[in-house]
Amino acid sequence: MSDATQDNAAGEQSQRPIGEVHALRCADCARSDSMVEGVEPTSRVSIPPEALAGFPDGVPRPPAGRHSRRTFMLGSAVGMASIYSAAHLTWESVWDAAAARAATPTAETILVCIYLNGGNDGLNAIVPVSAAQYSGYMAQRQNIARVLGPSGGGKVGTTAMPGTGGTLAFANPLVSGIGNNGASVGLDTLYGDGSGGAGSDLAIFPAADYQPANLSHFESRDYWFAGALDDEMATGWLGRWLDRYGSQTNPLQAVSINTTLSKSILTDTAPVCAISDLSQTSFQISGTNVNRQVADLGAVKASAANTALTRSRATYSETARMSHEVSGLNGVSTAPGYPSNSDLSSNLQLAATLLSAGLGTRIVTIDWGSFDTHGDQISSQDPQFAVLSQALGAFKADLSARGIEQNVLTLVYSEFGRRIGSNDSLGTDHGAGGLVMVSGSSVLGGLAGEHPGVQGDENDNLVPITDFRTVYQALISEWLGGDPTAILPGGPFPGIQRYDGGTALLK
Amino acid sequence: MRMSKSAANPGGQKGKRGLVGVRSHRLHRPPAELAGGSITASTPMSPEMVDRLFWRAGFGPTNADREQWTGNTLGAAVKWLLSTPAAYSGTPGTDQGAALDPTGNDSDLVLSWVDQMNRSINPFVERMTFFWHEHWANSRESVSPPQLLMTQTELFRKYADFATHPKANFADMAYAVTIDPSMLRYLTGELNVRGAPNENYAREFMELFTLGVTDAAGKPNYSQTDVEQLAKAFSGWQINDTNPNNVYSYFTQSRWYDGPKLVFGEFSNLTAAEAVKLVLTRRAHAPFIVNAIWNEFIVSLPDAATLKSLTHLYTSSGMQIRPLMQAILMHPLLFESLEEPNMVKSPVVYVVGALRAMGIQITDTTASDYLDGMGELPYFPPTVAGWEGGLSWLNTDTALARFNFISALLQDAKIKDLQGETAAEAYARAYVAVGSPWLAPATQAKIKRFAAAAQSSTPESRINRQVTLRALILAGPDAQVM
Repeated sequence: MSDATQDNAAGEQSQRPIGEVHALRCADCARSDSMVEGVEPTSRVSIPPEALAGFPDGVPRPPAGRHSRRTFMLGSAVGMASIYSAAHLTWESVWDAAAARAATPTAETILVCIYLNGGNDGLNAIVPVSAAQYSGYMAQRQNIARVLGPSGGGKVGTTAMPGTGGTLAFANPLVSGIGNNGASVGLDTLYGDGSGGAGSDLAIFPAADYQPANLSHFESRDYWFAGALDDEMATGWLGRWLDRYGSQTNPLQAVSINTTLSKSILTDTAPVCAISDLSQTSFQISGTNVNRQVADLGAVKASAANTALTRSRATYSETARMSHEVSGLNGVSTAPGYPSNSDLSSNLQLAATLLSAGLGTRIVTIDWGSFDTHGDQISSQDPQFAVLSQALGAFKADLSARGIEQNVLTLVYSEFGRRIGSNDSLGTDHGAGGLVMVSGSSVLGGLAGEHPGVQGDENDNLVPITDFRTVYQALISEWLGGDPTAILPGGPFPGIQRYDGGTALLK
Repeated sequence: MRMSKSAANPGGQKGKRGLVGVRSHRLHRPPAELAGGSITASTPMSPEMVDRLFWRAGFGPTNADREQWTGNTLGAAVKWLLSTPAAYSGTPGTDQGAALDPTGNDSDLVLSWVDQMNRSINPFVERMTFFWHEHWANSRESVSPPQLLMTQTELFRKYADFATHPKANFADMAYAVTIDPSMLRYLTGELNVRGAPNENYAREFMELFTLGVTDAAGKPNYSQTDVEQLAKAFSGWQINDTNPNNVYSYFTQSRWYDGPKLVFGEFSNLTAAEAVKLVLTRRAHAPFIVNAIWNEFIVSLPDAATLKSLTHLYTSSGMQIRPLMQAILMHPLLFESLEEPNMVKSPVVYVVGALRAMGIQITDTTASDYLDGMGELPYFPPTVAGWEGGLSWLNTDTALARFNFISALLQDAKIKDLQGETAAEAYARAYVAVGSPWLAPATQAKIKRFAAAAQSSTPESRINRQVTLRALILAGPDAQVM
């Protein structure tokens, strides 16, 4: 069926989720190119609810020919995983591998990658507000510029970023609080005082990219996914890391939360997978879980000959049982604080559920949003910023409640930034130097890369100071583990240069 | 790619593959009093009979339907269903305030038909039209432009609207579908040309649409030779879709295989029309189509005598559909297990039934979104064999989709707070508001107990109680059967 129905099929409200705002866009931008094409999954396996409970005994299957409480109920899959693997993996082998991981949990590092689709305008996210820069910014962006201080008079304001010597400010939709993103968390609460001390857990690179800018969505994405300035690479940068340092048997080690695989985790040999959805919704009425009542109705006995009614009641009981089991994973029910009606929220919640199941997942990829803001940028970018900042905060809190936050880093990036000067459609065209952020309590929060200022190159594009592979390199060497030069062609790349002089990504 | 189908018919409403020769698999014996034929045209209908008839022949009764038909005879109701023309009440549905644009996007294509079902004055016409879509299943996945499918639906409607086409017969229909642009595209008949025969349609025509693979005794109904030779007879047809709003098929003599074809052991220079006729004269055809229609409406399989009399009725009337429908809708087995309904509602019947029961118009894509989640998106059958149907409609995913669909409808419903409303009154109001559907006594008792335990001290809690009661009544397990 059409794309329009897909997102809502699981039972969300029918309003259009934020992040699917359709502002003016260039014709070829409508095409999504972030996912692999022409690579078919080698198999699709159902995900049993028991898997999400983390296989408490480490035993995924009952002994052959015997039934036990752990018998996977036929038809009680909570979702499907599309497996991409060089070798054919059966349902049993997938869950045996996952169960083996669950049985011997180790605190391994996990990277969640959120790709902002379309080329996010970093310049209207982190605004240069120094006396030297702001007038230039204003002059170039009159029709969409951020104002200093609180929003008002139809203009969106800014909030100073601590630890930047007054040179930079957050656009207010990225900031918590009434009049900003409306929530109690946002980039400001994650960023803290920017010192990298306790409570300063968000590193910000205002303009990371590569040079020279290639203004094509498709080539630029390919570079970012490949971790190389080469759009013919057959593998993603994380895919190569998995091939070298990951498992050759557990496809759940890297999960694209989507219907197909992200190019960034495309591997040569290591198995990976895509999971689009888990039916972890419960029977709900106006936000109230009625699983218990429904299960009660399902328990009524039908006459034996009536297979239809028997099936219906049994299915309802089973669904309520499964839903209860999934929602109760690790004692954490649906975490509060996520923005409602957003695909980003549901994808992050799914990520949190998978990660807390301890199935050996190291990498999660999420594609989100519609940031190709050629026109009416304020009305499409700002609501997405509000969702993004709130969702990142909620995700961190959710992971903390599950006791795994210290194992997780979240990377946010896009394929490029946008032209410094705005256009006549109240938007911006393809540019360079995109906003990159890394979140997590292990992160040395603060301004992790210099802002290039608004004196652009001859094409009016930002001149990025941080190479995007500098960030990847740090993620590999400091977090995932391994030799970055074996993963990123053309390295080693310059190290991180923080505003405060530091050179580390992590605390 | 086609799914294989099991032979029995538990839960009813299954497809047409392999329906012949399965009497030994019968799951239900009719109650003695019904088998004896105590229900006739002159039987005055109880409310339970009205419910049964309207669920099976339509999308369930509204409270008004139930009131209107209770006490009237079965014969009068069936006559009304089979002689009231296609017509629609109210104003057409919309999507986010805009008129539905069925040729512009596929959600609206689906919604426009659901909207017609929802507003149909005689629900039988749309129900039967949809049955033909399930039978001659064509999918939007490989049929473009969408106008082809819409035109095909209009064609099907001629064989469902017996007021306008009282003598509609399957022979005419089979030929019309054979040269229908949508079918020519879906089963690649347009590529079927002399010198390069394409067997696709010829095979499905016999296997899925008219004969079935084997007869009652398990003997093959046709051979591979028959398929190959029949394909030659069907050659030569193409589609002109230059104007998507006026698509038509046409015959090109030079593309047709002009020569003898050996079908069913005899040589003859068959045209497509003659080939259709020839296949329909096979002994296997009448029981096949009678079974296919019967199984859409009745759970227990017909016994030998019933099948014989129905096939006789069908053939002796010149393959007319109306007399057959009349006999099926008045058959005592339609009313078996009245005290505990025994057929799973298909998603389309469930969705449209809920909309009609609550008097809700199509105003957004909620219906199509959830139909997708429930596994039956009109115009998107999974295979040429249609939907598997029956018990397969219900699994943990689709149960949630069914429940949450009703939840979504209720979220938008304007529900009044009645201060001082007792639990019993709240239950009674909720029950009527969702069309007074069948609930087992034990289920009623449980929901009433829930009502009694629910918070009711504030307006919010009373409204919440009302919404929850309505959902438990209309979206629970008992509401999935008819």
